[in-house]
Amino acid sequence: MADLRVNFAGIQSPNPFWLASAPPTNSGYQVQRAFEAGWGGAVWKTLGEPILNVSSRFAGTHFNGQRVAGFNNIELITDRPLEENLKEIYETKKRFSNHAVIASLMVEPKQEKWHEIVKRVQDVGVDGFELNFGCPHGMAERGMGSASGQVPELVEKQTYWAKEAAKVPVIVKLTPNITDITATAYAAVQGGADAISMINTINSLAGVDLDSWNTIPHVAGKGAHGGYCGPAVKPIALNMVAECARHPEINVPISGIGGISTWKDAVEFMLMGAGSVQVCTAAMHHGFSIVEDMIDGLNNYLDSKGIAALDGLIGQSVEKYSDWGNLDLNYKIVARINNDVCINCNKCHIACEDTSHQCIDMLTSENGNAYLEVREEDCVGCNLCSIVCPVDGAIDMVEIPNGEPMTWNERQAAIKLPICNS
Amino acid sequence: MSSYKEFLKEKEKIDELYENGYTITHVREDLSGAFLTFERSKLDLKNKEQRKELQILTADARKYFSNLLIANQKKLV
Ligand SMILES: Cc1cc2nc3c(=O)[nH]c(=O)nc-3n(C[C@H](O)[C@H](O)[C@H](O)COP(=O)(O)O)c2cc1C
Repeated sequence: MADLRVNFAGIQSPNPFWLASAPPTNSGYQVQRAFEAGWGGAVWKTLGEPILNVSSRFAGTHFNGQRVAGFNNIELITDRPLEENLKEIYETKKRFSNHAVIASLMVEPKQEKWHEIVKRVQDVGVDGFELNFGCPHGMAERGMGSASGQVPELVEKQTYWAKEAAKVPVIVKLTPNITDITATAYAAVQGGADAISMINTINSLAGVDLDSWNTIPHVAGKGAHGGYCGPAVKPIALNMVAECARHPEINVPISGIGGISTWKDAVEFMLMGAGSVQVCTAAMHHGFSIVEDMIDGLNNYLDSKGIAALDGLIGQSVEKYSDWGNLDLNYKIVARINNDVCINCNKCHIACEDTSHQCIDMLTSENGNAYLEVREEDCVGCNLCSIVCPVDGAIDMVEIPNGEPMTWNERQAAIKLPICNS
Repeated sequence: MSSYKEFLKEKEKIDELYENGYTITHVREDLSGAFLTFERSKLDLKNKEQRKELQILTADARKYFSNLLIANQKKLV
Protein backbone atom coordinates (compact mmCIF):
# COMPACT_ATOMS: atom_id res chain seq x y z
CA MET A 1 0.00 0.00 0.00
CA ALA A 2 1.41 3.34 -1.05
CA ASP A 3 1.45 6.35 1.23
CA LEU A 4 -1.33 8.64 -0.04
CA ARG A 5 -0.81 11.43 2.49
CA VAL A 6 -0.23 14.90 1.13
CA ASN A 7 1.35 18.00 2.50
CA PHE A 8 -0.06 20.62 0.16
CA ALA A 9 1.59 23.97 0.81
CA GLY A 10 1.57 23.07 4.50
CA ILE A 11 -2.00 21.71 4.51
CA GLN A 12 -1.97 18.06 5.61
CA SER A 13 -4.53 15.56 4.41
CA PRO A 14 -4.76 11.76 4.52
CA ASN A 15 -5.14 11.57 0.74
CA PRO A 16 -5.12 13.97 -2.23
CA PHE A 17 -8.87 13.77 -2.85
CA TRP A 18 -10.68 16.91 -1.75
CA LEU A 19 -14.23 18.01 -2.39
CA ALA A 20 -14.27 21.31 -4.29
CA SER A 21 -16.10 24.31 -2.92
CA ALA A 22 -19.66 23.72 -4.17
CA PRO A 23 -22.99 22.18 -3.03
CA PRO A 24 -21.29 18.99 -1.66
CA THR A 25 -19.48 21.15 0.93
CA ASN A 26 -22.38 23.40 1.84
CA SER A 27 -22.76 22.25 5.46
CA GLY A 28 -21.09 20.45 8.35
CA TYR A 29 -23.48 17.53 7.90
CA GLN A 30 -22.28 17.00 4.34
CA VAL A 31 -18.56 17.54 4.91
CA GLN A 32 -18.53 15.17 7.91
CA ARG A 33 -20.31 12.47 5.90
CA ALA A 34 -17.80 13.04 3.08
CA PHE A 35 -14.89 12.54 5.50
CA GLU A 36 -16.53 9.37 6.80
CA ALA A 37 -16.75 8.17 3.19
CA GLY A 38 -13.00 8.71 2.75
CA TRP A 39 -12.45 12.20 1.29
CA GLY A 40 -9.16 13.63 2.53
CA GLY A 41 -10.20 17.26 2.49
CA ALA A 42 -13.00 19.66 1.72
CA VAL A 43 -13.06 23.21 0.49
CA TRP A 44 -16.10 24.68 2.17
CA LYS A 45 -18.81 26.26 -0.03
CA THR A 46 -17.65 29.86 -0.58
CA LEU A 47 -18.25 32.12 2.40
CA GLY A 48 -19.10 35.78 1.98
CA GLU A 49 -22.08 38.00 2.48
CA PRO A 50 -24.94 35.49 2.26
CA ILE A 51 -26.62 35.70 -1.14
CA LEU A 52 -30.05 34.84 -2.52
CA ASN A 53 -30.33 32.04 -5.06
CA VAL A 54 -32.79 31.40 -7.89
CA SER A 55 -34.71 28.32 -8.87
CA SER A 56 -33.86 26.48 -11.07
CA ARG A 57 -30.05 26.40 -10.96
CA PHE A 58 -28.50 23.48 -12.82
CA ALA A 59 -28.50 21.89 -16.26
CA GLY A 60 -26.83 18.68 -17.42
CA THR A 61 -25.41 18.22 -20.88
CA HIS A 62 -26.10 14.65 -21.90
CA PHE A 63 -24.30 13.36 -24.93
CA ASN A 64 -25.24 10.24 -26.85
CA GLY A 65 -26.53 8.40 -23.81
CA GLN A 66 -23.79 9.59 -21.45
CA ARG A 67 -25.56 11.54 -18.72
CA VAL A 68 -23.82 14.60 -17.33
CA ALA A 69 -21.01 14.78 -19.85
CA GLY A 70 -21.07 18.40 -18.77
CA PHE A 71 -22.79 20.33 -16.00
CA ASN A 72 -23.93 23.94 -15.91
CA ASN A 73 -24.97 26.04 -12.92
CA ILE A 74 -26.14 29.53 -12.06
CA GLU A 75 -25.82 29.03 -8.31
CA LEU A 76 -24.00 31.66 -6.26
CA ILE A 77 -21.90 31.37 -3.09
CA THR A 78 -23.31 30.28 0.29
CA ASP A 79 -26.75 31.56 1.21
CA ARG A 80 -26.19 30.77 4.90
CA PRO A 81 -25.04 33.26 7.55
CA LEU A 82 -21.34 33.22 8.34
CA GLU A 83 -21.91 32.31 12.02
CA GLU A 84 -23.74 29.10 11.10
CA ASN A 85 -20.98 28.05 8.72
CA LEU A 86 -18.28 28.86 11.27
CA LYS A 87 -19.97 26.82 13.96
CA GLU A 88 -20.14 23.83 11.63
CA ILE A 89 -16.56 24.26 10.43
CA TYR A 90 -15.42 24.27 14.07
CA GLU A 91 -17.40 21.10 14.85
CA THR A 92 -16.17 19.38 11.71
CA LYS A 93 -12.54 20.18 12.42
CA LYS A 94 -12.96 18.97 16.01
CA ARG A 95 -14.29 15.61 14.80
CA PHE A 96 -11.84 15.23 11.93
CA SER A 97 -8.62 16.86 13.05
CA ASN A 98 -6.50 14.98 10.47
CA HIS A 99 -8.60 16.01 7.52
CA ALA A 100 -8.11 19.22 5.58
CA VAL A 101 -10.81 21.83 6.02
CA ILE A 102 -10.24 24.78 3.76
CA ALA A 103 -12.51 27.81 3.73
CA SER A 104 -13.34 29.34 0.38
CA LEU A 105 -13.80 33.09 0.61
CA MET A 106 -15.20 35.81 -1.59
CA VAL A 107 -15.71 39.45 -0.71
CA GLU A 108 -15.55 42.76 -2.52
CA PRO A 109 -12.07 43.82 -3.64
CA LYS A 110 -11.44 45.98 -0.56
CA GLN A 111 -8.65 45.47 1.95
CA GLU A 112 -10.83 45.81 5.06
CA LYS A 113 -13.35 43.27 3.73
CA TRP A 114 -10.60 40.69 3.18
CA HIS A 115 -9.07 41.33 6.58
CA GLU A 116 -12.42 40.98 8.31
CA ILE A 117 -13.46 37.67 6.74
CA VAL A 118 -10.00 36.08 7.00
CA LYS A 119 -9.75 36.90 10.70
CA ARG A 120 -13.23 35.70 11.54
CA VAL A 121 -12.90 32.41 9.69
CA GLN A 122 -9.38 31.71 10.88
CA ASP A 123 -10.52 31.86 14.49
CA VAL A 124 -12.49 28.62 14.15
CA GLY A 125 -9.40 26.69 13.10
CA VAL A 126 -9.43 26.14 9.33
CA ASP A 127 -6.35 24.57 7.76
CA GLY A 128 -6.22 27.03 4.90
CA PHE A 129 -8.09 29.47 2.72
CA GLU A 130 -9.06 29.34 -0.90
CA LEU A 131 -9.82 32.72 -2.46
CA ASN A 132 -12.62 32.38 -4.97
CA PHE A 133 -11.63 34.60 -7.90
CA GLY A 134 -13.49 32.37 -10.29
CA CYS A 135 -17.25 32.28 -9.95
CA PRO A 136 -18.34 33.50 -13.42
CA HIS A 137 -21.97 34.44 -12.84
CA GLY A 138 -23.95 36.65 -10.47
CA MET A 139 -21.10 37.48 -8.10
CA ALA A 140 -19.12 38.73 -11.11
CA GLU A 141 -21.88 41.23 -11.85
CA ARG A 142 -21.16 42.61 -8.37
CA GLY A 143 -17.44 42.98 -9.10
CA MET A 144 -16.41 39.76 -7.33
CA GLY A 145 -15.45 36.25 -8.48
CA SER A 146 -14.22 36.07 -12.05
CA ALA A 147 -14.74 39.83 -12.56
CA SER A 148 -11.83 40.47 -10.23
CA GLY A 149 -10.11 37.19 -11.10
CA GLN A 150 -9.67 38.30 -14.71
CA VAL A 151 -7.61 41.34 -13.74
CA PRO A 152 -4.07 40.37 -12.69
CA GLU A 153 -3.62 43.54 -10.58
CA LEU A 154 -6.77 42.75 -8.59
CA VAL A 155 -5.70 39.13 -8.11
CA GLU A 156 -2.35 40.25 -6.78
CA LYS A 157 -3.80 42.93 -4.51
CA GLN A 158 -6.53 40.77 -3.02
CA THR A 159 -4.14 37.89 -2.46
CA TYR A 160 -1.83 40.30 -0.69
CA TRP A 161 -4.67 41.58 1.52
CA ALA A 162 -5.75 38.06 2.43
CA LYS A 163 -2.16 37.12 3.19
CA GLU A 164 -1.76 40.18 5.43
CA ALA A 165 -4.35 38.71 7.79
CA ALA A 166 -3.92 34.96 7.23
CA LYS A 167 -1.91 32.73 9.55
CA VAL A 168 -2.69 29.60 7.53
CA PRO A 169 -1.85 28.87 3.85
CA VAL A 170 -3.73 30.79 1.18
CA ILE A 171 -4.70 29.07 -2.07
CA VAL A 172 -5.87 31.27 -4.93
CA LYS A 173 -8.58 29.67 -7.10
CA LEU A 174 -8.38 30.91 -10.66
CA THR A 175 -10.97 31.45 -13.33
CA PRO A 176 -10.57 29.73 -16.71
CA ASN A 177 -12.49 32.59 -18.33
CA ILE A 178 -9.28 34.27 -19.41
CA THR A 179 -7.01 33.91 -22.44
CA ASP A 180 -3.84 33.06 -20.54
CA ILE A 181 -4.29 31.64 -17.05
CA THR A 182 -0.57 31.95 -16.31
CA ALA A 183 -1.02 35.74 -16.20
CA THR A 184 -3.36 35.55 -13.21
CA ALA A 185 -1.49 32.61 -11.68
CA TYR A 186 1.67 34.70 -11.76
CA ALA A 187 -0.21 37.63 -10.23
CA ALA A 188 -1.34 35.36 -7.39
CA VAL A 189 2.25 34.29 -6.79
CA GLN A 190 3.33 37.93 -6.78
CA GLY A 191 0.63 38.63 -4.20
CA GLY A 192 2.13 35.97 -1.95
CA ALA A 193 -0.16 33.00 -2.63
CA ASP A 194 1.01 29.77 -1.00
CA ALA A 195 -0.69 27.75 -3.72
CA ILE A 196 -3.09 28.08 -6.64
CA SER A 197 -6.06 25.98 -7.68
CA MET A 198 -7.84 25.69 -11.00
CA ILE A 199 -10.28 25.65 -12.64
CA ASN A 200 -13.51 27.24 -11.57
CA THR A 201 -16.37 26.97 -14.06
CA ILE A 202 -16.36 28.12 -17.69
CA ASN A 203 -18.94 30.65 -18.97
CA SER A 204 -21.70 28.68 -20.60
CA LEU A 205 -25.27 28.38 -21.78
CA ALA A 206 -26.27 24.73 -21.59
CA GLY A 207 -28.96 24.88 -24.28
CA VAL A 208 -32.20 26.30 -25.62
CA ASP A 209 -35.49 24.41 -25.38
CA LEU A 210 -36.83 23.79 -28.87
CA ASP A 211 -40.50 23.95 -27.80
CA SER A 212 -40.57 26.89 -25.41
CA TRP A 213 -37.45 28.63 -26.78
CA ASN A 214 -36.43 29.18 -23.15
CA THR A 215 -32.81 28.92 -22.11
CA ILE A 216 -31.70 25.82 -20.18
CA PRO A 217 -31.87 26.32 -17.26
CA HIS A 218 -34.33 29.21 -17.13
CA VAL A 219 -35.83 31.22 -14.32
CA ALA A 220 -39.40 32.19 -15.14
CA GLY A 221 -38.58 32.36 -18.83
CA LYS A 222 -35.30 34.22 -18.49
CA GLY A 223 -31.76 32.88 -18.47
CA ALA A 224 -28.29 34.16 -17.66
CA HIS A 225 -24.92 32.63 -18.45
CA GLY A 226 -23.74 29.99 -16.03
CA GLY A 227 -20.57 28.06 -15.26
CA TYR A 228 -19.68 24.81 -17.03
CA CYS A 229 -17.90 21.90 -15.37
CA GLY A 230 -17.86 18.10 -15.31
CA PRO A 231 -16.11 15.59 -17.62
CA ALA A 232 -16.36 17.86 -20.68
CA VAL A 233 -14.05 20.47 -19.15
CA LYS A 234 -11.26 18.10 -18.11
CA PRO A 235 -8.99 18.73 -21.12
CA ILE A 236 -9.30 22.49 -20.63
CA ALA A 237 -8.52 22.22 -16.92
CA LEU A 238 -5.63 19.79 -17.48
CA ASN A 239 -4.01 22.14 -19.96
CA MET A 240 -4.34 25.07 -17.58
CA VAL A 241 -2.76 23.08 -14.74
CA ALA A 242 0.04 21.96 -17.05
CA GLU A 243 0.68 25.48 -18.37
CA CYS A 244 1.05 26.77 -14.83
CA ALA A 245 3.15 23.78 -13.74
CA ARG A 246 5.69 24.32 -16.51
CA HIS A 247 5.85 28.08 -16.09
CA PRO A 248 9.29 28.92 -14.65
CA GLU A 249 7.98 31.71 -12.42
CA ILE A 250 4.96 29.90 -10.99
CA ASN A 251 6.61 27.85 -8.30
CA VAL A 252 3.78 27.15 -5.89
CA PRO A 253 1.76 23.93 -5.47
CA ILE A 254 -1.29 23.51 -7.70
CA SER A 255 -4.60 21.94 -6.73
CA GLY A 256 -6.18 20.47 -9.89
CA ILE A 257 -9.92 20.86 -10.46
CA GLY A 258 -12.18 20.30 -13.45
CA GLY A 259 -13.87 17.16 -14.71
CA ILE A 260 -12.09 14.77 -12.36
CA SER A 261 -14.36 11.72 -12.06
CA THR A 262 -12.05 8.74 -11.58
CA TRP A 263 -8.67 7.85 -10.09
CA LYS A 264 -7.27 7.89 -13.62
CA ASP A 265 -8.30 11.52 -14.11
CA ALA A 266 -6.69 12.31 -10.77
CA VAL A 267 -3.43 10.60 -11.77
CA GLU A 268 -3.32 12.60 -15.00
CA PHE A 269 -3.68 15.87 -13.07
CA MET A 270 -1.00 14.79 -10.61
CA LEU A 271 1.39 13.79 -13.40
CA MET A 272 0.85 17.27 -14.83
CA GLY A 273 1.80 18.86 -11.52
CA ALA A 274 -1.27 18.86 -9.26
CA GLY A 275 -0.38 18.25 -5.62
CA SER A 276 -4.01 17.61 -4.71
CA VAL A 277 -7.21 17.23 -6.71
CA GLN A 278 -10.69 18.59 -6.11
CA VAL A 279 -13.97 17.12 -7.27
CA CYS A 280 -17.46 18.58 -7.57
CA THR A 281 -19.57 17.29 -10.49
CA ALA A 282 -18.66 13.61 -10.12
CA ALA A 283 -19.65 13.73 -6.44
CA MET A 284 -22.90 15.50 -7.35
CA HIS A 285 -23.60 12.86 -10.00
CA HIS A 286 -22.69 9.72 -8.07
CA GLY A 287 -22.40 10.63 -4.37
CA PHE A 288 -19.56 10.70 -1.85
CA SER A 289 -18.81 6.96 -2.15
CA ILE A 290 -16.93 7.44 -5.45
CA VAL A 291 -13.91 8.31 -3.37
CA GLU A 292 -13.50 4.64 -2.37
CA ASP A 293 -12.70 3.67 -5.98
CA MET A 294 -10.49 6.70 -6.33
CA ILE A 295 -8.40 5.71 -3.29
CA ASP A 296 -8.24 2.03 -4.29
CA GLY A 297 -7.42 2.84 -7.89
CA LEU A 298 -4.66 5.27 -6.98
CA ASN A 299 -3.21 2.83 -4.45
CA ASN A 300 -3.15 -0.06 -6.92
CA TYR A 301 -1.70 2.13 -9.64
CA LEU A 302 1.12 3.33 -7.40
CA ASP A 303 1.82 -0.23 -6.26
CA SER A 304 1.89 -1.46 -9.85
CA LYS A 305 4.44 1.23 -10.70
CA GLY A 306 6.48 0.56 -7.56
CA ILE A 307 5.91 4.12 -6.30
CA ALA A 308 5.82 4.41 -2.52
CA ALA A 309 4.43 7.92 -2.09
CA LEU A 310 2.76 10.64 -4.17
CA ASP A 311 5.98 12.63 -4.51
CA GLY A 312 7.06 9.96 -6.99
CA LEU A 313 4.10 10.83 -9.21
CA ILE A 314 3.41 14.54 -8.90
CA GLY A 315 4.76 16.56 -11.82
CA GLN A 316 6.42 13.64 -13.63
CA SER A 317 4.87 14.57 -17.01
CA VAL A 318 5.44 18.31 -16.81
CA GLU A 319 8.74 18.28 -18.71
CA LYS A 320 7.03 16.37 -21.52
CA TYR A 321 4.70 19.34 -22.08
CA SER A 322 6.32 21.97 -24.25
CA ASP A 323 5.67 24.43 -27.05
CA TRP A 324 4.63 23.27 -30.52
CA GLY A 325 7.87 24.63 -31.91
CA ASN A 326 9.83 22.06 -29.90
CA LEU A 327 8.03 19.04 -31.36
CA ASP A 328 9.95 16.72 -33.67
CA LEU A 329 8.75 17.22 -37.27
CA ASN A 330 10.48 13.99 -38.31
CA TYR A 331 8.63 11.78 -35.85
CA LYS A 332 6.31 9.58 -37.88
CA ILE A 333 3.49 7.26 -37.00
CA VAL A 334 1.10 5.52 -39.38
CA ALA A 335 -2.16 3.65 -38.98
CA ARG A 336 -2.22 -0.11 -39.34
CA ILE A 337 -5.51 -2.00 -39.52
CA ASN A 338 -5.68 -5.43 -37.91
CA ASN A 339 -7.96 -7.21 -40.35
CA ASP A 340 -8.63 -10.11 -37.98
CA VAL A 341 -10.13 -7.66 -35.45
CA CYS A 342 -11.68 -5.13 -37.88
CA ILE A 343 -15.44 -5.49 -38.39
CA ASN A 344 -15.40 -3.69 -41.75
CA CYS A 345 -17.73 -0.94 -40.65
CA ASN A 346 -15.76 1.42 -42.92
CA LYS A 347 -15.91 4.30 -40.45
CA CYS A 348 -12.16 4.76 -40.75
CA HIS A 349 -12.36 4.80 -44.54
CA ILE A 350 -15.15 7.39 -44.50
CA ALA A 351 -13.38 9.59 -41.98
CA CYS A 352 -10.10 9.44 -43.88
CA GLU A 353 -11.65 9.83 -47.33
CA ASP A 354 -13.99 12.70 -46.41
CA THR A 355 -12.04 14.60 -43.81
CA SER A 356 -8.41 13.57 -43.75
CA HIS A 357 -5.80 12.32 -46.23
CA GLN A 358 -7.57 9.70 -48.39
CA CYS A 359 -5.21 6.87 -47.55
CA ILE A 360 -7.47 4.01 -46.40
CA ASP A 361 -8.41 1.81 -49.36
CA MET A 362 -11.46 -0.47 -49.46
CA LEU A 363 -10.22 -3.64 -51.15
CA THR A 364 -11.46 -7.13 -51.95
CA SER A 365 -9.32 -10.18 -51.35
CA GLU A 366 -8.89 -13.02 -53.85
CA ASN A 367 -11.61 -15.02 -52.10
CA GLY A 368 -14.05 -12.14 -52.30
CA ASN A 369 -13.74 -10.73 -48.76
CA ALA A 370 -13.87 -6.98 -48.26
CA TYR A 371 -11.00 -5.52 -46.27
CA LEU A 372 -9.45 -2.16 -45.48
CA GLU A 373 -5.82 -1.25 -45.90
CA VAL A 374 -3.81 1.87 -45.13
CA ARG A 375 -1.43 3.21 -47.77
CA GLU A 376 1.21 3.93 -45.18
CA GLU A 377 3.29 6.23 -47.35
CA ASP A 378 0.33 8.63 -47.66
CA CYS A 379 -0.72 8.36 -44.01
CA VAL A 380 0.16 11.46 -41.99
CA GLY A 381 -0.47 9.73 -38.64
CA CYS A 382 -3.29 12.07 -37.64
CA ASN A 383 -4.99 9.39 -35.43
CA LEU A 384 -8.48 10.15 -36.82
CA CYS A 385 -9.17 6.58 -38.02
CA SER A 386 -8.23 5.08 -34.65
CA ILE A 387 -10.33 7.72 -32.87
CA VAL A 388 -13.50 6.95 -34.85
CA CYS A 389 -12.93 3.16 -34.88
CA PRO A 390 -15.53 1.50 -32.63
CA VAL A 391 -13.45 -1.65 -31.99
CA ASP A 392 -10.54 -1.69 -29.56
CA GLY A 393 -7.39 -3.07 -31.13
CA ALA A 394 -8.63 -2.86 -34.73
CA ILE A 395 -6.30 0.01 -35.60
CA ASP A 396 -2.79 0.47 -34.21
CA MET A 397 -0.80 3.64 -34.65
CA VAL A 398 2.72 2.42 -35.34
CA GLU A 399 5.97 4.33 -35.08
CA ILE A 400 8.11 4.39 -38.23
CA PRO A 401 11.83 5.14 -37.81
CA ASN A 402 12.47 8.42 -39.62
CA GLY A 403 15.91 9.80 -38.94
CA GLU A 404 17.25 12.42 -36.59
CA PRO A 405 14.79 14.70 -34.78
CA MET A 406 14.18 18.17 -36.23
CA THR A 407 11.93 20.70 -34.55
CA TRP A 408 10.18 23.64 -36.19
CA ASN A 409 12.35 25.99 -34.15
CA GLU A 410 15.52 24.26 -35.36
CA ARG A 411 14.28 24.32 -38.94
CA GLN A 412 13.41 28.01 -38.85
CA ALA A 413 16.80 28.82 -37.38
CA ALA A 414 18.50 26.74 -40.09
CA ILE A 415 16.72 28.33 -43.07
CA LYS A 416 17.50 31.81 -41.80
CA LEU A 417 21.24 31.20 -41.51
CA PRO A 418 23.37 32.63 -44.32
CA ILE A 419 24.71 29.50 -45.97
CA CYS A 420 28.28 29.33 -47.20
CA ASN A 421 28.94 27.30 -50.34
CA SER A 422 32.64 27.47 -50.91
CA MET B 1 -2.10 11.73 -57.28
CA SER B 2 -0.99 10.40 -53.91
CA SER B 3 0.80 13.02 -51.86
CA TYR B 4 3.66 10.58 -51.36
CA LYS B 5 4.23 10.44 -55.10
CA GLU B 6 4.19 14.24 -55.29
CA PHE B 7 6.78 14.28 -52.53
CA LEU B 8 8.94 11.69 -54.32
CA LYS B 9 8.99 13.82 -57.49
CA GLU B 10 10.21 16.84 -55.55
CA LYS B 11 12.68 14.77 -53.56
CA GLU B 12 14.17 13.41 -56.78
CA LYS B 13 14.77 16.94 -58.06
CA ILE B 14 16.49 17.91 -54.81
CA ASP B 15 18.57 14.70 -54.77
CA GLU B 16 19.61 15.21 -58.37
CA LEU B 17 20.92 18.67 -57.62
CA TYR B 18 22.82 17.39 -54.61
CA GLU B 19 24.29 14.57 -56.70
CA ASN B 20 25.55 17.19 -59.13
CA GLY B 21 27.40 19.05 -56.43
CA TYR B 22 24.80 21.70 -55.57
CA THR B 23 23.84 22.64 -52.03
CA ILE B 24 21.10 24.89 -50.77
CA THR B 25 22.35 28.41 -50.16
CA HIS B 26 19.13 30.30 -49.68
CA VAL B 27 15.55 29.56 -48.70
CA ARG B 28 12.62 31.89 -49.20
CA GLU B 29 9.15 30.84 -48.11
CA ASP B 30 5.85 32.51 -48.94
CA LEU B 31 2.22 31.64 -49.65
CA SER B 32 3.25 29.58 -52.68
CA GLY B 33 5.69 27.31 -50.86
CA ALA B 34 9.46 27.29 -50.56
CA PHE B 35 11.88 28.72 -53.12
CA LEU B 36 15.30 27.19 -52.87
CA THR B 37 18.50 28.55 -54.31
CA PHE B 38 21.14 25.90 -55.01
CA GLU B 39 24.75 26.75 -55.73
CA ARG B 40 27.88 24.74 -56.42
CA SER B 41 31.52 25.39 -56.02
CA LYS B 42 33.14 27.82 -58.44
CA LEU B 43 36.21 25.59 -58.42
CA ASP B 44 34.26 23.06 -60.44
CA LEU B 45 35.24 24.72 -63.74
CA LYS B 46 33.65 22.15 -66.05
CA ASN B 47 30.21 23.26 -64.94
CA LYS B 48 29.21 26.64 -66.22
CA GLU B 49 25.94 26.89 -64.39
CA GLN B 50 26.63 27.53 -60.74
CA ARG B 51 23.17 28.47 -59.55
CA LYS B 52 19.71 26.85 -59.74
CA GLU B 53 16.29 27.69 -58.35
CA LEU B 54 13.67 25.19 -57.25
CA GLN B 55 10.13 25.70 -56.00
CA ILE B 56 9.01 23.13 -53.43
CA LEU B 57 5.30 22.61 -52.89
CA THR B 58 4.81 19.53 -50.72
CA ALA B 59 5.09 19.59 -46.94
CA ASP B 60 7.19 16.42 -46.86
CA ALA B 61 9.69 17.85 -49.33
CA ARG B 62 9.92 20.98 -47.22
CA LYS B 63 10.80 18.76 -44.27
CA TYR B 64 13.22 16.83 -46.46
CA PHE B 65 15.25 19.79 -47.64
CA SER B 66 15.26 21.21 -44.10
CA ASN B 67 16.87 18.00 -42.86
CA LEU B 68 19.50 18.21 -45.63
CA LEU B 69 20.15 21.83 -44.78
CA ILE B 70 20.65 21.09 -41.09
CA ALA B 71 22.92 18.12 -41.88
CA ASN B 72 24.95 20.37 -44.19
CA GLN B 73 25.24 23.11 -41.63
CA LYS B 74 26.38 20.58 -39.04
CA LYS B 75 29.10 19.39 -41.43
CA LEU B 76 30.31 22.96 -41.93
CA VAL B 77 30.59 23.67 -38.22
C1 LIG C 1 -23.49 23.98 -8.47
C2 LIG C 1 -22.09 24.43 -8.34
C3 LIG C 1 -21.77 25.40 -7.41
C4 LIG C 1 -20.45 25.84 -7.26
N1 LIG C 1 -20.16 26.75 -6.30
C5 LIG C 1 -18.87 27.15 -6.12
C6 LIG C 1 -18.53 28.01 -5.06
O1 LIG C 1 -19.35 28.42 -4.26
N2 LIG C 1 -17.23 28.37 -4.94
C7 LIG C 1 -16.25 27.93 -5.79
O2 LIG C 1 -15.08 28.26 -5.64
N3 LIG C 1 -16.57 27.08 -6.80
C8 LIG C 1 -17.85 26.69 -6.98
N4 LIG C 1 -18.15 25.78 -7.96
C9 LIG C 1 -17.07 25.31 -8.86
C10 LIG C 1 -16.44 24.00 -8.37
O3 LIG C 1 -15.82 24.15 -7.13
C11 LIG C 1 -15.39 23.49 -9.39
O4 LIG C 1 -14.38 24.45 -9.51
C12 LIG C 1 -15.97 23.21 -10.76
O5 LIG C 1 -17.25 22.67 -10.65
C13 LIG C 1 -15.08 22.27 -11.57
O6 LIG C 1 -14.98 20.99 -10.98
P1 LIG C 1 -15.84 19.71 -11.48
O7 LIG C 1 -15.65 19.59 -12.96
O8 LIG C 1 -15.33 18.57 -10.68
O9 LIG C 1 -17.27 20.04 -11.17
C14 LIG C 1 -19.45 25.32 -8.11
C15 LIG C 1 -19.78 24.33 -9.04
C16 LIG C 1 -21.08 23.88 -9.15
C17 LIG C 1 -21.39 22.80 -10.13
